[in-house]
Amino acid sequence: MNVRVQPTSTHNIEVRLRPEHSDAEGAAALALLVAQGMPSLREARVSRVYEVKGPISAGQVLQATKDLLCDAVTQEYRVLAPVNPPANGMNFWRVEVWLKPTVTDPVGETVRDAIADMGLPRPDSVRCAMVYRLCGRSNKPQLEKAVSKCLANPLIHRAVVTEAQP
Amino acid sequence: MNASAVKDPAAAAAEAPGILDKSVKELRALGDARHLSLNDAEWAVIQGHFKGLKREPTLAELETLAQTWSEHCKHKTFTSPIRLTEGKKTRVIKNLFQETIVAATQAVKKPWCLSVFDDNAGVVAFGKKWALAFKAETHNHPSALEPYGGSETGVGGVVRDVLGCGLGAKPVLNTDVFCFGRPDYKGPLPEGAHHPNRTMRGVVAGVRDYGNRMGIPTAGGGLWFDDDYRLNPLVFCGTVGLIPQWAVDKEVKPGDFIVAVGGKTGRDGLHGATFSSANLGEDAPTSAVQIGHAIAEKRVLDALLRARERKLYRSVTDCGAGGFSSAVGELGAAGARVSLENAPLKVSDLDSWEIWLSESQERMVLAVPPKNLKALQAVFAAEGCETAVLGEFTKTGRLVVEHRGRPVVDLDMQFLHKGLPRVEREAVWNAPAPAKPSGGAEKKASLVLREAVADLNVCSREWVIRQYDHEVQGGTVIKPLQGVRHDGPGDACVIWPQAATGDMDDHMGFSVAHGLNPDYGRLDPYWMAMAVVDEALRNLTCVGADPSRAALLDNFCWASPADPKQLGALVRAAEGCRDAAKGFGAPFISGKDSLYNQSKDEKGRELPIPGTLLISAISTVPDARKAVTMDFKGPGNALYLIGRTNDELGGSLYHKILGRSGGEVPKVSPACALEGFKSLHAAINRGLVLSAHDLSEGGLAVTAVEMGFSGEFGCLIDLDEMARDPRIYSNETLLFSESPSRILVEVSPESESAFLRHFGKGAKAAAVRRVGQTTANPILKVVGLDGSVVMEEPLRELKEAWQKTLPAVLG
Repeated sequence: MNVRVQPTSTHNIEVRLRPEHSDAEGAAALALLVAQGMPSLREARVSRVYEVKGPISAGQVLQATKDLLCDAVTQEYRVLAPVNPPANGMNFWRVEVWLKPTVTDPVGETVRDAIADMGLPRPDSVRCAMVYRLCGRSNKPQLEKAVSKCLANPLIHRAVVTEAQP
Repeated sequence: MNASAVKDPAAAAAEAPGILDKSVKELRALGDARHLSLNDAEWAVIQGHFKGLKREPTLAELETLAQTWSEHCKHKTFTSPIRLTEGKKTRVIKNLFQETIVAATQAVKKPWCLSVFDDNAGVVAFGKKWALAFKAETHNHPSALEPYGGSETGVGGVVRDVLGCGLGAKPVLNTDVFCFGRPDYKGPLPEGAHHPNRTMRGVVAGVRDYGNRMGIPTAGGGLWFDDDYRLNPLVFCGTVGLIPQWAVDKEVKPGDFIVAVGGKTGRDGLHGATFSSANLGEDAPTSAVQIGHAIAEKRVLDALLRARERKLYRSVTDCGAGGFSSAVGELGAAGARVSLENAPLKVSDLDSWEIWLSESQERMVLAVPPKNLKALQAVFAAEGCETAVLGEFTKTGRLVVEHRGRPVVDLDMQFLHKGLPRVEREAVWNAPAPAKPSGGAEKKASLVLREAVADLNVCSREWVIRQYDHEVQGGTVIKPLQGVRHDGPGDACVIWPQAATGDMDDHMGFSVAHGLNPDYGRLDPYWMAMAVVDEALRNLTCVGADPSRAALLDNFCWASPADPKQLGALVRAAEGCRDAAKGFGAPFISGKDSLYNQSKDEKGRELPIPGTLLISAISTVPDARKAVTMDFKGPGNALYLIGRTNDELGGSLYHKILGRSGGEVPKVSPACALEGFKSLHAAINRGLVLSAHDLSEGGLAVTAVEMGFSGEFGCLIDLDEMARDPRIYSNETLLFSESPSRILVEVSPESESAFLRHFGKGAKAAAVRRVGQTTANPILKVVGLDGSVVMEEPLRELKEAWQKTLPAVLG
């Protein structure tokens, strides 16, 4: 197999359910957040972000995403920009829950092996995060506290709460 | 990862903490700082040993000793002398484990026990060619900190135990038993503690994901709720494996390679063994918590079993607590030489002691004859599984570990494994004075029944069970949920492991059941132990398993044994286990203890868990096609109650509902009970029983309701027909007493005489009485002692109450 060596780079891909499908995971997350004293949250949708690092091109990552990570019928994907666009302050929130670097990421490891099994360059590492896209009135400290009580365990997770686009 | 990436291990020697001149206080501080969990006596022995050698220990040696001598690995409480004071009498128990659990097994002498207490799991014969390996373990402390990862790695660990038993058993069943605080707990919690609701959701998800992804059915288990578990949940994970009898024995020969297979070694899981030997507090090391990788373990499983069939290795064990240290130490008691630079690493900056002690998951260690190495590597490579030769087993009697040519550990095996000082512990047991039931207010029986079926410790477990794949491997004959709508509460599962044996003509199956009731233990741990053994055995009997072929596992979960009262209660429970095993003729084949299950609550007070004993029982089902479920099968059938009812409401659900305390804790008479179980088993085996269900929490009333709504038939029960203590004049006592050893059985009218013949001369002892019959109308109708109707309750409403509790409290 003729594999061209790529310079090491980082790609972030988000895979999520298409908006027309109901999101059971999101509904469950919303119920947990509401139980933590966030009654003003109205909607939660869940997606996954894969951070792929290594000698693999953007095109190859997209190929792996289409063939491996995304179900074309129910899901869609997008490449995340290195810097998020500014938020619009309309009560949309994005919560990313990553495993801390010292904690084994079994999903990431399996994806890394699977990409190599596809004949693509083997990434140095793949990490996977759960992303919760929330809609509703809140503030960052309140949301961070609620997230740490039900969606992330500070012992093993790093949760990043940001304002987001709808 | 190649060795060159590892930093210079000279750091290990340089980090030698220097203990020879340290005072007791300084040693304690060192132990606390490094989470070593060594006591003063152990420090003194270690200090003396190295003074004799005229050198300081390396950090790796200290860590190795701490892990090997931890409560988790050496079960110090169970094997050390205990001075027990009972009232004015004092006696010394030299070795609690030997004098109770082992003594009982030796006394009952069952030839079908193929391996007991020696290996990673207990092994009993299953037919002529096969054997069953069974093990249950706890993963309490990790699950308290990280419920998902803790329970996941608990399943992974016990699966590897079975995989590392003999030359490797194929897992065919997982079980799970949990004790949590109430999911709707409203009280305060200390900073950092997870709410019981979150703990439960996380633990169930962890067990679900690991078992389902490995393709092992999770078909047996239980749940118990009590707010005293809110800071220290208990997570018992069990696995049954099938192993050919030729593969039960293993041996290690000097010159065999030490080969590590499976996952890479990282910093995760450090100090797991010593961590579990300490009270859970805010300073728990975060490295003790891990996330499991089920797919990696599945690859190890598949490759290992293939290598076993080709007899490519001579021995195997799992890397559990203590990592390579304990695995190599277990296998190579005669000596081993290890070179750490060959270990595949997750990160390059690990110290030598971290590589040696890491408890990274999904790793096994094999003893491989050099001539088989290439073939073994090829088998594992085909599954995408890494192998690494770490060194070789020797006969020097020394454990020698090197890292890039520098010595890291050089310990005498005798000192490592036999050097642990046996410190006498104090225990106190004061028999509770018989207390008449007091307090609470009377309630109408029908109201009590509604509360009883909706109680958290009785209600439907469907929310949990439906998350597990209990059908994978295609051998689950009796499923955890039964009845016409597949939602009734089964007593036990029955597995026909044809996928593992490949023999479609052999219909022998096996069943696994559990017994657990800490409420009885609050009154008397001895009778709790007797009762939970009885419960496990009667659950087995209900589905058609042979009670005379039952083998037991004990799992003690207790608070700190440094408290003499706690230790006294533990001794009492162990003695109950001994007497129950002897009485029922059921040997213990393996077990485990988890101590120090206590934490500081929100006010800084110690909150111990109630002393908890889980008994897991396994037995063969001679013909899985004849196994029975618990749901009523039709109207007009006779209902027989096996077992005598006494006024035993101490620790009962009835008392809890009334807010009443005191009373007689249920007492077991093993000889009578076994007689009844054996007779019922014979009747089931002849196809004479339509359904059977045991009487436990909530007594006869709850049992009849569960059988009724599961089959969608009603029943009429006449309390005056029950075999009972003649001093009972209360309908409520007869309905809700939790006297042990009782089973309600449905028999068709044409089978009644044949059924009764099975009880023959033993009928009187077993106290078999026809107490009623099934009816077409799904209503529970009970006629009291005076002939009046005590209750007439529609089963549909009771079922709704039974079903909605758990989803409601989980929110």
